[in-house]
Amino acid sequence: MKQFLLLITILFIASACKEIYELPPQAMLQATITNPTTNLPMTSKVTYKGIGRDSMWVSATSVNLITFPLSTKETTSFVVSFDATVDTISFNHTSTQKYGSMETGFYYEYKLKSINSTHHRILSIDITDSLVTTIWHENIKLNISPLPSGGV
Amino acid sequence: MRILSLTLVLCLLAAFSNGQTHKVQKEKEKEKKVKPKREDNYIRLKGLRFGMDVTRPFQYLWTKGDRYGTEFSGDLEISPNLFPVFESGYEFMKIKTSYVDYSGQGSYSRFGLDYNFLQAENKNDKNILYGGLRYGFAFASQKVNNYLIDSYWGPTTGSFSNQNYFAQWGELLLGMKGEVFHNFYMGWSIRFKIQLNNKAIGYPLAYFIPGFGKAANGSNFDLTYSVYYNIPWDFRKNIGVKKLKAIVVKPKSVKKPVVKKPVLKKLTD
Repeated sequence: MKQFLLLITILFIASACKEIYELPPQAMLQATITNPTTNLPMTSKVTYKGIGRDSMWVSATSVNLITFPLSTKETTSFVVSFDATVDTISFNHTSTQKYGSMETGFYYEYKLKSINSTHHRILSIDITDSLVTTIWHENIKLNISPLPSGGV
Repeated sequence: MRILSLTLVLCLLAAFSNGQTHKVQKEKEKEKKVKPKREDNYIRLKGLRFGMDVTRPFQYLWTKGDRYGTEFSGDLEISPNLFPVFESGYEFMKIKTSYVDYSGQGSYSRFGLDYNFLQAENKNDKNILYGGLRYGFAFASQKVNNYLIDSYWGPTTGSFSNQNYFAQWGELLLGMKGEVFHNFYMGWSIRFKIQLNNKAIGYPLAYFIPGFGKAANGSNFDLTYSVYYNIPWDFRKNIGVKKLKAIVVKPKSVKKPVVKKPVLKKLTD
């Protein structure tokens, strides 16, 4: 009987720890803002939003590493402002649905096919890894022209 | 020189004798290590013992999701200290989060053997401490009623229809069973379950295997607590009586063989 009561107690203590679910993982395209002359990361005040979306994804933040959430469509486009100079970037990609678990749910992973952009501030874009997974890592290098004052 | 050689001889003798004593000691130790044979070579559990696992309906208390079910078992002492066991049950698993609405269910069965390590003091001592092996299999189905993938670009929703699958696993267990009242038993077991090769069911993968647990894990631990009732019907005794009756009855029913006397007519003629 003592054993049984002990077991019940353990079960109730264990029950206090249940029902904690992790959020589903999200695959993000990661870009490094690079100075093409030095080939080193460069900080820039960035604001950007998806074309067709009302809300900003990132607003006026000084960074050298930015992430882009891709859509399930074949092309995902963003309007990006680098220190008030606006460019448009379009990512052509495929998307594959992935299963995490029934606790975390489902998510998408992507494969970059090509990238198009305007060239107001962007000089060129290099794809370093075309696979966009939930383990965030550098996928592209955004080579932008440095500001006349420096800005590195 | 003589003294030196004498000392060398003495040293060798000492080493030899030391080796001998070591040998004798080792032999003695070996003799000590030999376990005495079990004296409880008799069957204590007469008849069949049926059980119900009382923890199965409350599994949601220690597992993620709403897991519950029922499980029944039956065992008998086929030979002293050896118990063939059969366990069968049905389980449900439900998970409802903001992202997934999942339900899985299925029936499972296990069969195997338990061996009692605890030597009985007398024939009425029916408590056992056992180790056991099981083979388990399950027929199950799962369904994703609804899922949601939230994103900056807006949510994506969908569902997956019913998927049926078969799974199998092996179990290694340790447990105790004790008689609490006459013919009423209680007992627990700790189980280590290892998944055997299961067929892939496609997308999404099987999440839950009834009787085993999470399918993604190659192995799982489990704890059971059961109540048992021993049906006080000694089938061995009845079988024995029937056999005896058959032995006693047979000679009565058999007619004496008629021995024909040889015809001696021709010879006498």
